[in-house]
Amino acid sequence: MKRRSIVALSVVAVLAAAVLTATSVAATTKATASSITVWLQVDAQSGWPGVVAAANQQFQSDHPGTSVNVQYQNWGDHLQKFDATLAGGNGPDVIEMGNTEMTKYMAAGAFADLSSFKGSFANSSNWLSGLAKSGAFNGKTYGVPYYAGSRVVTYRTDLFKAAGINKLPTTTAQFALDAKRLLAKNSTKGFSPVYIAGTDWYFAMSFVYDYGGSIAQQISGKWKGLLNTPRSIAGLNAYKSFFAAASRASKTTDETHPNPYDVYAQGQAASMVGPSWFSCCVGKKYTGTTAQFVMPGHVKGQSMPGFLGGSDLAVPVTSGNKALAADWIKDFTSTASEKALQAKGNIPNATNLLGNSVNERAASRSWFVPTAKHWVDVENGNILRNMLAQILTGKLTVKQAASSASDNIASVLNQP
Amino acid sequence: MKRAGWNAVGVAVFLVMVFPVFWMVSTAFKPDSQVISLTPTWIPLHPTLSHFTAALDKPYFWRDVLNSLIVVGVTVAASIVVALLAALALARYRFTGREVFIVLVIGIQMLPQIGLIIPLYVVLAQYHLVNTLTGVILTEMTFVLPFCVWTLRGFLVGLPKELEEAGLVDGSTRLGVFVKILLPLMAPGLVATSIFAFITVWNEYIFARLLLNDQRKQTLTIWLSYFSGTSRHTDWGALMAASTLTAIPVVVFFLLVQRKIAFGLTAGAVKA
Amino acid sequence: MASAAETQPFRSRRRRRFRERALTGSTPFLLIVPLLVVMATILGYPLYWLFRLSTQQYGLFQLIAHHGTSVGLKNFSSVLHDQVFWHTLVRTVVFTAVNVGLTMGLGLLIALLLTKLSAWVRVLLSSGLVLVWAMPVVVAVQVWYWMTNFQNGVLNYVLTQLHLGNFDQHDWYATTTSQLGMVTLLIVWGALPFVAITLYAGLAQVPRDLVEAAEVDGARPWRVFRDITLPILRPILLILTSLSIIWDFGVFTQPYLLIGQSKITPGNYLMSVYLWEEGYFKTDFGRGAAISILMLFIVALLSVAYVRRMVRIGREVA
Repeated sequence: MKRRSIVALSVVAVLAAAVLTATSVAATTKATASSITVWLQVDAQSGWPGVVAAANQQFQSDHPGTSVNVQYQNWGDHLQKFDATLAGGNGPDVIEMGNTEMTKYMAAGAFADLSSFKGSFANSSNWLSGLAKSGAFNGKTYGVPYYAGSRVVTYRTDLFKAAGINKLPTTTAQFALDAKRLLAKNSTKGFSPVYIAGTDWYFAMSFVYDYGGSIAQQISGKWKGLLNTPRSIAGLNAYKSFFAAASRASKTTDETHPNPYDVYAQGQAASMVGPSWFSCCVGKKYTGTTAQFVMPGHVKGQSMPGFLGGSDLAVPVTSGNKALAADWIKDFTSTASEKALQAKGNIPNATNLLGNSVNERAASRSWFVPTAKHWVDVENGNILRNMLAQILTGKLTVKQAASSASDNIASVLNQP
Repeated sequence: MKRAGWNAVGVAVFLVMVFPVFWMVSTAFKPDSQVISLTPTWIPLHPTLSHFTAALDKPYFWRDVLNSLIVVGVTVAASIVVALLAALALARYRFTGREVFIVLVIGIQMLPQIGLIIPLYVVLAQYHLVNTLTGVILTEMTFVLPFCVWTLRGFLVGLPKELEEAGLVDGSTRLGVFVKILLPLMAPGLVATSIFAFITVWNEYIFARLLLNDQRKQTLTIWLSYFSGTSRHTDWGALMAASTLTAIPVVVFFLLVQRKIAFGLTAGAVKA
Repeated sequence: MASAAETQPFRSRRRRRFRERALTGSTPFLLIVPLLVVMATILGYPLYWLFRLSTQQYGLFQLIAHHGTSVGLKNFSSVLHDQVFWHTLVRTVVFTAVNVGLTMGLGLLIALLLTKLSAWVRVLLSSGLVLVWAMPVVVAVQVWYWMTNFQNGVLNYVLTQLHLGNFDQHDWYATTTSQLGMVTLLIVWGALPFVAITLYAGLAQVPRDLVEAAEVDGARPWRVFRDITLPILRPILLILTSLSIIWDFGVFTQPYLLIGQSKITPGNYLMSVYLWEEGYFKTDFGRGAAISILMLFIVALLSVAYVRRMVRIGREVA
């Protein structure tokens, strides 16, 4: 009898101890000035490890005795890891965030205010507006632009020549006519003159912004969906007709199922719209006959506004080494660093650093998603994708689909 | 049906089940153009090892293999022991709270793991076990134990009590009965359970990813995730090669222990 | 009156019996202590956190502040009033039934098949099963998607070649039923090795001579299976079935990755995907905790019949 209760009591004691010790949660990491932790996405490890090494070297010569611990993250789960560290500590001092991911975390108070350090960041007065906007909240700076990427058209020079297209199109209408010519010369089943996935909202929304429309806007504190305004609808109609003329892709799948560059490498596309790094994977057969140009808008001489994707660097509020972290960011976004990133095919973070590559020219006209706390919920809820699928399959008219999406977006963005 | 007939069926089932694995391995050897070709290439006529070299070039491969082996080895060994003890208690003893204990054990299995990510991280951070293999081992044990207890209990319960009683009558202690009679009969069950534990822990990703930040401490599944974690294109050939590499230790482990399952067949004949 | 000599042995006998009973009485507890210690250390706080948070408004802001606001049972009622929750529940129950049925049925058949094979085929098939089992789930999903994608998938190619219809460019992920069908195939395929090998190990415990004696007596294979094999296999069958129910109900990686975030909608949610999307993806941790607890109760309900039977079997034997 006694032994049983002793055992039972000890079990209860262990349980209680576990609960009690764990309820006292440490909010900040133990601030060791002997090292800082940096979370970068694995893109940096495989794409530009030299840039990271150079920044670390610069930092360590400025702060001998403090080492830099770079830990690489995956895009798929880095936010869940970040959430865990916000709750339990041991988090990074610097974190790379996608520019569309910033607003939600800024609104929740996840980042330290870097406004006082802004002057020390290289070229901060010339930051690309699309990126700078993503790092600012309530007038304060929380994110430092890291690099950007726009969308270009990657095309087969030999197929274009064979179809008699000697001058690259300067308007979307011209491009649609060129697509017809390409189709005439390449009649295999499933061949797309311009491979565009049906629900590629990054590309589709470019049409909306090209016609002066937009997705949503905050008017006196409340978000209003603007996809059903006449201009936006004109843009959506333009997208619908361009898709019909140019793409034989599935109307309901996204831009990774299949990857456009895989379709291109199989010889099933004369061109494709996507990030400039698509040129990496066009297959050995076509590497020699591949080039890029800027997607034209509907007005001659104007490029279509491209979605400006990119990353920012922020300092979590749980970090105990804010000044050191800001200094590392300064080293990693220095002019030399940005130029090195540019050499790897990225768009640097400031307008005075912009070169003349196709990628950078495409960034001259760009658009960005509404900087709303709940924007990621709109993305994750596939509202825009579903709207595009409905429009392209003809399930709903453009007006109907746009109206319902608009209302949907507004209700999601206006959540508390 | 004759033996040959059954064998034919066995081979057919083998081919159907293994096809996706075959596809993975064959893709690992295909040149890039065949990886994405419109018409499937069954067996690459010009196999290439470039994907394997690309995979092995990724930093920390061998280190991560070692980490995985340590985590799996310790977890499986400790879990089998702890689970066997608990299974014995459940299968052979009556005690108050037995039913509650059973429900508790199986209840752990019912918790959706995603829901536990954040609080688990918080508690391990409190114990300073974040970024340590020990933390991962303890976490893995927690999720593997319920199944192990359950299964081992099932095997134990299936063994007739008369065998133990005969042993006790013969004069051996309870422990002696356990070691000399029960353990050998349980060999197939122990092997099956340890295979399950091995594979589950070897392929575990969520909590390993959550807890291990240092690339030098990470396990092989995390190493594998880097292939597709980038926002750029994924090198499918290299990913398939890498996946093939991560599957090898499991197969080796199985081939080493699978004979033990057959052992049980003859043991049953000898006993009675 | 009994002499002191007579009462002495009686007392010590009682003491010895008491000591023995205490020893056997506490042995089971000592046996389960290691398990309890590991569980309590790792899961004690998370369980408490889950229950506490389910009654709080706890989003990203509260996570950073380490402080939530109590809202009573509002999270639970909001989930229970959500149409999506109920539709998802029904869909998941049907999905689980199909998956468990296929897994257990096919698994048993393969286990029986294994007993009938010559040694080399047995090693071949069981190694093949382990190969399947060893494949990381993420990779298996990727390979599965390749094999079944509409553009250049092997499945469409083979089906068309076998003249089973024109499956050229057929999109297996166009409708919810088709999507979940593909997920089912993937999950059953991945679960078969474990079930088959465990059942085979269980079959290995069936005394050979009993089977032979029955066959000599003229019993048909089905009788032998029903009267000899099945009773011995019953505990393991029950365990595997209950585990399969629990796992298939809460499966996450396969449906989430195979269908893909861009195609996941409330129309094809399974319970764990619902939990992920509505709780953790939206960083509404309070809601996520409430859904987790509801899932726990539902799964417990679904598997109670099997768990009860298993507990009862133990009671007979012990």
